[in-house]
Amino acid sequence: MTSLSCELFEQTQDIEGMEVGTRTLERSHRHKMSSFKRKATGKQTLTVYPGTRISPASNLSLITSTGISSLDDILGGGLPLTCSLVFGAPDIHSSYGDLIQKYFVAQGLGNGHRVCVVGEDAEKFVRDIMWFPKAQELQRAAESDDDDKPANQDEKVKIAWRYEKMKQFQTTVGSQDGDCLPFELASRVPKEMIDDGLKSQRIRVVNAGTNMFDILGEISRFLEAETKEATRICIAGLGSAGWGDVSPQVCERIVKRETGLTDRNAANPGLASIFPSHHGLVSVQRVPSPQTQSAPSERFSTLRGLGSSGENNLGFKCTRKRLVFETVHLDIEGGTGERRTKESNEGARKVKTSRKKVVFENDF
Amino acid sequence: MPYFSPFDLPESILLLITDSLAAPGDFVLHRCLANHLKDKKTPRVTILSVSEGIAKWKALASKSNINLQQHLDSGALEFVDVLADVQPNGFQNNENNSDLKIIVERVRGFLERSSREQGGDTQPAMVILDDITMLEWIGFPLIDVARFARALRAVCSKANATLLVRHHILAPDEPDDLFRRLLQICTYHLEVRALASGRSGNVSGEVALHPGFSAPPNTIKLVPRSAALQYRLTDAGPDFFAKGTSQVVL
Repeated sequence: MTSLSCELFEQTQDIEGMEVGTRTLERSHRHKMSSFKRKATGKQTLTVYPGTRISPASNLSLITSTGISSLDDILGGGLPLTCSLVFGAPDIHSSYGDLIQKYFVAQGLGNGHRVCVVGEDAEKFVRDIMWFPKAQELQRAAESDDDDKPANQDEKVKIAWRYEKMKQFQTTVGSQDGDCLPFELASRVPKEMIDDGLKSQRIRVVNAGTNMFDILGEISRFLEAETKEATRICIAGLGSAGWGDVSPQVCERIVKRETGLTDRNAANPGLASIFPSHHGLVSVQRVPSPQTQSAPSERFSTLRGLGSSGENNLGFKCTRKRLVFETVHLDIEGGTGERRTKESNEGARKVKTSRKKVVFENDF
Repeated sequence: MPYFSPFDLPESILLLITDSLAAPGDFVLHRCLANHLKDKKTPRVTILSVSEGIAKWKALASKSNINLQQHLDSGALEFVDVLADVQPNGFQNNENNSDLKIIVERVRGFLERSSREQGGDTQPAMVILDDITMLEWIGFPLIDVARFARALRAVCSKANATLLVRHHILAPDEPDDLFRRLLQICTYHLEVRALASGRSGNVSGEVALHPGFSAPPNTIKLVPRSAALQYRLTDAGPDFFAKGTSQVVL
């Protein structure tokens, strides 16, 4: 655990007086250079693990990507280490919750993190995660977004001059500034990679349905191992039918270890007629703020848009290639106002750390 | 100086702080702690933490230029990780550890010891319980948790200490049993609420102050819900302002 050092700045500025001569007016300002001194008492350096970066909100915490750039934006740049993300997916007939977890696991494997997956058939779950389209085509995959772009980009459309410099209306954020790897839903992870991971204990699968305390013991043992990489824990369908008779207290006990965030996505079939381009709505219940009073999400999230006004409505859609979270607007006839999104502004900073553990759960 | 300005709360009371998911009340606890440590010549604080680790307390205290480690080392501050000491029945083999009395005794010991060390001239201490709801959620029976709160209150009032208890409210319209019991024993009830109109970037929530059953009449200015004080959370803490006077409105 990191101890914190308080950084104080001192500014000293001396201005020495004026001398007035008989002939000339002589002014002698002597500015002792404004000097900022940093009291570096007990300063420690924050180790940045592969696949993590310093949070834009606090240089004392590290964040890691969830695998979905728009979800990272909602979280304020990414999921802070030591925090958990609970996804409530109330519609048991859809598998969007699983999909988000698969992104999370895939991002972990792509970044070389250790991954522990708990679920009804955890090994099958891991073997089914999405992957890059092809190793050689990473760059191209990052750029291609053919689901969203119009077909004929080259054709010059004549528009009124005052709108010409206006940016295209955006409802989501791109992946260019985040740490997200360019996964594609149509691709599957190579079998050898999972086999290697299982053999080298970088991937641990724990099947649900056994005693809860055995599961907790397995997770604890996985976390206790000495390692220099971040660790991700993914609990699929916590408390669902395959887990047997689980009391809410036990679920709470499992979740309790970490503080974090509750996100809830609701895939409501009835909404399809109102918002034809979305598969469900997302409501954010709580956002992580491990080192700060105000949540980073509220300051840095472009999608939530809390910088100056009320919170945007959020939804998600699953395209052929990827899952995207975005702002929900009425159709043009509904009279939506002008609302364009800006790219999130995340600068790299210097730093320090805390524990390296991330838990990811899916709760029905 | 009051320990939670702009509210003029007296010391040696039981202050119940309720909050919800949309508007967490962490800032109340952190501000009270910071003010107590800064204002008192001989501060004495016990933090009974159920949900957060010491790291977060240290990080947020450093924002107020307070080095918690110093206070921990000097013995002015005691941090108790409640779940490390006690566990509900069925979670550990050792059944003796399921009794919350251990925590009460620990608080009593701290208050007596620190009072003795500082001679007779002691200022009121502060005990922070963050939070009581989690104890019920992870499986302690309601009756045990309610008795724990009552015992804690007795110990604190005997030592003339201020007790802050945080309780999470899930459904504001349906008060739960634990909340009813806490309301009966508290002196004042500080309610942190989200805005009814949803989240906003300029207003994080609002705070109201109600009297509890044991509050003396007409001693401090109460804040009803209709005139609740709004606040905006920044990294340095909350900025309070009256309704309708936020930056954007004016």
